[in-house]
Amino acid sequence: MIRLEKVTVAYGSRVILDEIDLEIPAGKTMVILGESGSGKTTILKCVLGTLHPVSGRVLANGQNIATLDDDELLRFRQRMGMVFQEGALFDSLTVGENVAYWLWEHADLSEEKVEARVRTLLRFVGLEDSIDLKPSDLSGGMRRRVAIARAMAAEDPAFMLYDEPTTGLDPFTSKSICDLMRRVQREFSTTNIVVTHDLTDAYRVGDLFTFIKDARVIATGSRQEIERSSDPFIRTFLSLDS
Amino acid sequence: MFENPLSLVSGIIGTVQNFTLMVARSFRYIFVHFRFRESLLEMDRLGVGSIPIVFLASLFAGLDMALQFSVVMAPYGAINLLGKVVATSVIRDMGPVLASLVMSARVTAGIASELGMMATTQQIEALLVMGVDPVDRLVAPKLLAGMVMLPVLSVIGDFLGVLAGLAVAVFGAHVPAPLYWSGVRTALTLPNLVNGMVKPFVFGFILVSIGCYYGLRTSGGAQGVGRATTKAVVFAAIWILVANFLISKFLIDIWGWKL
Repeated sequence: MIRLEKVTVAYGSRVILDEIDLEIPAGKTMVILGESGSGKTTILKCVLGTLHPVSGRVLANGQNIATLDDDELLRFRQRMGMVFQEGALFDSLTVGENVAYWLWEHADLSEEKVEARVRTLLRFVGLEDSIDLKPSDLSGGMRRRVAIARAMAAEDPAFMLYDEPTTGLDPFTSKSICDLMRRVQREFSTTNIVVTHDLTDAYRVGDLFTFIKDARVIATGSRQEIERSSDPFIRTFLSLDS
Repeated sequence: MFENPLSLVSGIIGTVQNFTLMVARSFRYIFVHFRFRESLLEMDRLGVGSIPIVFLASLFAGLDMALQFSVVMAPYGAINLLGKVVATSVIRDMGPVLASLVMSARVTAGIASELGMMATTQQIEALLVMGVDPVDRLVAPKLLAGMVMLPVLSVIGDFLGVLAGLAVAVFGAHVPAPLYWSGVRTALTLPNLVNGMVKPFVFGFILVSIGCYYGLRTSGGAQGVGRATTKAVVFAAIWILVANFLISKFLIDIWGWKL
């Protein structure tokens, strides 16, 4: 479970998150929706521990991330997978090496076992044939798939974070990425946070939904609860997307 | 246009603090989590890859230095000291400084732009998320490679500079080769050799650490990468010259050379 309690993030006088409260139950997917620049990605950074809130607590399975030192944070992140907006693949490595990277760093496995695991993961995302390609040879959708495979390389990823995983993709590819994210959640029972501004994709992958506006949470709940909301911003957001 | 003096001072303090932390963590990783394979690769990339430019720079610097010294020394009948003067200048100063300045254009710029691109495309963040400290994976091997390879390149550059001086001495100033070489031999003293090895070691540290620092802190897309690269090269060149003076002064005091 991931819980944010009264989390405030500010750069000088500019408040990015203002006393945010969020709870993502274990094994569920929380989709965070809102306009660009509303602080959605900042929530992911707080959960990753790459950004420390000025006040409040970020708890992952009961552990307060803000109090961990650098080494503890590095260890904590080993059980976390993150898919960045453009994939953030290491461009000097091949697809296979990108996926193998976590295993080289943290698992004491022979090269044969690493390759077997890499092939399994690439098969899972439908890209086993691309193992020797460089990220620059891949389409946007393929890069996201490799990023998902890389994020799952940890033996037992407890948390998966997705930062606008379908941005810039065509509708078919977006749907296939969403289906893949659902499969990851089903098969690995991960607790997920997805940041997006695309409502169609949000409904495809989400169990719970949170709307952020002006640095605050304005609504959170299931799809039905969100759709019943009378908040003018949410009503506009839902109507624009439909 | 002009910064508030208070924010300027706090900016400088912040830079010094962050730079010191990065360097301290790099040294910790070099000693407690040594990455042999990555360090070797960096030594090949930073060091072996730079041999051609160091070769060319040292060759022409040696030629020019011998030419200028012979013009100044000949009227005083001191041309027989040409070998000693060229070798002393090359070993103590010109070799390390020249190799480092040429390397700053290649290595510092390369490191800053490589890490800068990684930072702007979230690859640095991806490393962090995978539980890998970018300082461990990216900075420490480069820093070690710089501190090991720059002295090596400097020795190669020194040798070439002295050899180029020989060509000018023999064919331009008509100094017999044995006389030139005997002068060179008298310049190969312990203080000169220590001087010639300490400097490139420090310069290697400066080149790489500044490139890494500005690279890792890059933001703002392609323009940001360009800005970080320029800053890194300029600061590296300035700090090499500052460090050169300070080390020269320190070693002159240590060896008790008279001014």
